[in-house]
Amino acid sequence: MEQIPAIMRKNLVLIITLAVMLVLFVAAASGMSWQDFVITLLRGLAVGALTFLVASGFSLIFGLLDVLNLAHGTLFMVGAYIGWTVYVRPDTFVDILTPLALIISGFTLGDVWRLLAQRVPQSGLWRRVLPWVAIVPGVLIGFGVMRGYPVASWSLENYAESPVTFSFLASQGQRVIPAPATFGDGSPLIAFGGLILASMLIAFGLTLLRQSDIHTAAHVSWRHVVPFAGLIAGGLVVFTVNEPLTAWLFALDTNWLFLIAVLAAVLSGMGLGALMESTLIRPLYVRPIYQLMLTLGLSAIGIEIVRAIWGRPEFTMPKPALFAGSGEGCPAESLWLALQNSCSTMLFQGGRIRIYNEIFIPLVGLIVLIAVWLLLRRTRLGMIIRAGVQDREMVEALGINVRRVFTMVFALGVGLAALGGVLAAPSIGLSNTMGESFLLNALIALAIGGLTSYPGAAIGSLLVGMLQQFIIKYGQIGIAIPLTGIVFKPSPPLVPASTILLMVIILLILPNGLLGRKE
Amino acid sequence: MTQILELHDIHTFIGQYHILQGVSFTVPVGSITALLGRNGAGKTTTLKTIMGLTPPRIGEIRFEGRRINGMRPFEIASLGIGFVPEHRAIFRDLTVEENLKIAERKKGDYVRKQEMIFSLFPDLKRLINLRGANLSGGQQQMLAIARALVADNRLLLIDEPSEGLAPVVIEGLIGAIRHLAADSTVVLVEQNFLVASQLAEYYVIIEEGRSVQSGRMQELVNDKAAIHRYLGAA
Repeated sequence: MEQIPAIMRKNLVLIITLAVMLVLFVAAASGMSWQDFVITLLRGLAVGALTFLVASGFSLIFGLLDVLNLAHGTLFMVGAYIGWTVYVRPDTFVDILTPLALIISGFTLGDVWRLLAQRVPQSGLWRRVLPWVAIVPGVLIGFGVMRGYPVASWSLENYAESPVTFSFLASQGQRVIPAPATFGDGSPLIAFGGLILASMLIAFGLTLLRQSDIHTAAHVSWRHVVPFAGLIAGGLVVFTVNEPLTAWLFALDTNWLFLIAVLAAVLSGMGLGALMESTLIRPLYVRPIYQLMLTLGLSAIGIEIVRAIWGRPEFTMPKPALFAGSGEGCPAESLWLALQNSCSTMLFQGGRIRIYNEIFIPLVGLIVLIAVWLLLRRTRLGMIIRAGVQDREMVEALGINVRRVFTMVFALGVGLAALGGVLAAPSIGLSNTMGESFLLNALIALAIGGLTSYPGAAIGSLLVGMLQQFIIKYGQIGIAIPLTGIVFKPSPPLVPASTILLMVIILLILPNGLLGRKE
Repeated sequence: MTQILELHDIHTFIGQYHILQGVSFTVPVGSITALLGRNGAGKTTTLKTIMGLTPPRIGEIRFEGRRINGMRPFEIASLGIGFVPEHRAIFRDLTVEENLKIAERKKGDYVRKQEMIFSLFPDLKRLINLRGANLSGGQQQMLAIARALVADNRLLLIDEPSEGLAPVVIEGLIGAIRHLAADSTVVLVEQNFLVASQLAEYYVIIEEGRSVQSGRMQELVNDKAAIHRYLGAA
């Protein structure tokens, strides 16, 4: 009991800030009808949840690795596009699995390459040339094989086969199975062999390039071959069952397909994150400015790659069946009825609530919030992350491989962004710029909440989402300013400006954000 | 007597500064060895160099006969070396228990060592759920040493354990460190010569990045000239 006044005294500024915000909020909201208020609140929650998925990953990465990952918004977008591909074009997804498994396979033999690298003479011209003697042919072989490798895809030139059309057809419930791509005159076996060879050459060359890795002890046992063989076998199995698997996915209930799409997006996000950290970010830990430029550059490159693959036009991702119905009993009277009839909307005091946007997305956001919180508080990995945020050297000196934890955290952060992207896709659609606005939102949310604070990321995201949605709503209905009789209607440009204004005010009062630690 | 740790002509650079310019010494198994010297002589850097945190550019370090320079810090630690850095770098956001658990190298280390650790530092048992940030300086130091005991370490590197602590607390600490040396070898950096001379059997004096003199502590205690020359008036 005695502690309460002490806590209050310590956090007086924080409490006053929150109280003032609450009073302003209540005052503004009092002019609103109950129905508008609840719906706007739910919309704010939805935007807040998506922002949180970007912000939490960004803040985890910044907290532990000190990397400001400016490519985070782009990775959010990539998650959306990958999810769309799995959801709308499962045939493309299945076609890609085999070459992907084969290309990764060589990299699982890390210790074998290190052992070989230790046998190579450690100095001289040969030492400098050899990595490139391996990497360059590896890349050439890889590209050569992939050029002729059959992957069913869409066309950016032909409108009838463009992503926009496929999206439209899928949203109409017409799942046209496109003609499968087949090997022309090339032999599949040569292609597989080429991919495995390319993968091994590149992996070996990269190991040779990393001087510091070579000296660490490498132990090779039969166990190291298991993932390698597993990936190759898995890739070949997928290849042989390609057609039935594709047909099965096309016939699958869209709810399950959506789940697979989400999982695929998250896993590819994690893979991309791990790859990015271990190859590009790692050499730059000692040079933060270069890191900033690198992530900024990667973000631009990512956007261009997405444009090259999926095209510039915006398109939508159809909602899964559970949230898309409009038949009998829709819009439903209650949430329970809505779920029973798979309605896309439910009625609330005369207003419409969209189930996917305003119920499902905040719910997933809440689940992720709790899951990551448990990960940080209850697991050994979380303990290491929290300790590492304070003192990486000491964690390493206890015998913990911090570099591996860095890779895991980067993968986790990017995975969260990709999850945000794929969840956002059915709600706001896919566009080349969807990542940027969310990255900006997330940065503002983190500045408000405190850069490395996990609860801060949640509160900041929520505030940003709410503020934006309420300003949008007030743009429609106007705020009656008390005692003056004036009705103020915020114009649309005030939506982004309002969050920045909130950030400025909070940072003026609390320079470290709401829950940030004093430096 | 066998040597658990051997440093041979170690040169360490931090940035462009040539901090260690030839440090060589050996540490016998089961002993307490004190690194002595003035402020900025390179004692802390020597410990960090052994741990691989500031890897040497030239020279050789052997632990139990095995060359360890060039290994990454976590690999060096995993061989059985515990590190207690200066300013007692405990994890402020973690509870006392988490601070100990994080040092596990094998599952169950903490449970196995619990009794030994709490008999050595009874205070910690009482504080088990407190966050590291809420401990006093002496308690933090005890936690930092206890943390190095959780895993099976055969060598402990302890940097300035008595720094900033009250004399009563130092008393307790000396007892604890002496107790530790029964099971493992200790290398100690200590400014306080009185503390160092009570604890250590061997000493190494480091002066401007070089090891200049070493031997038995008993002999140094009587060598007033050396004490005056290298350590200032003691």
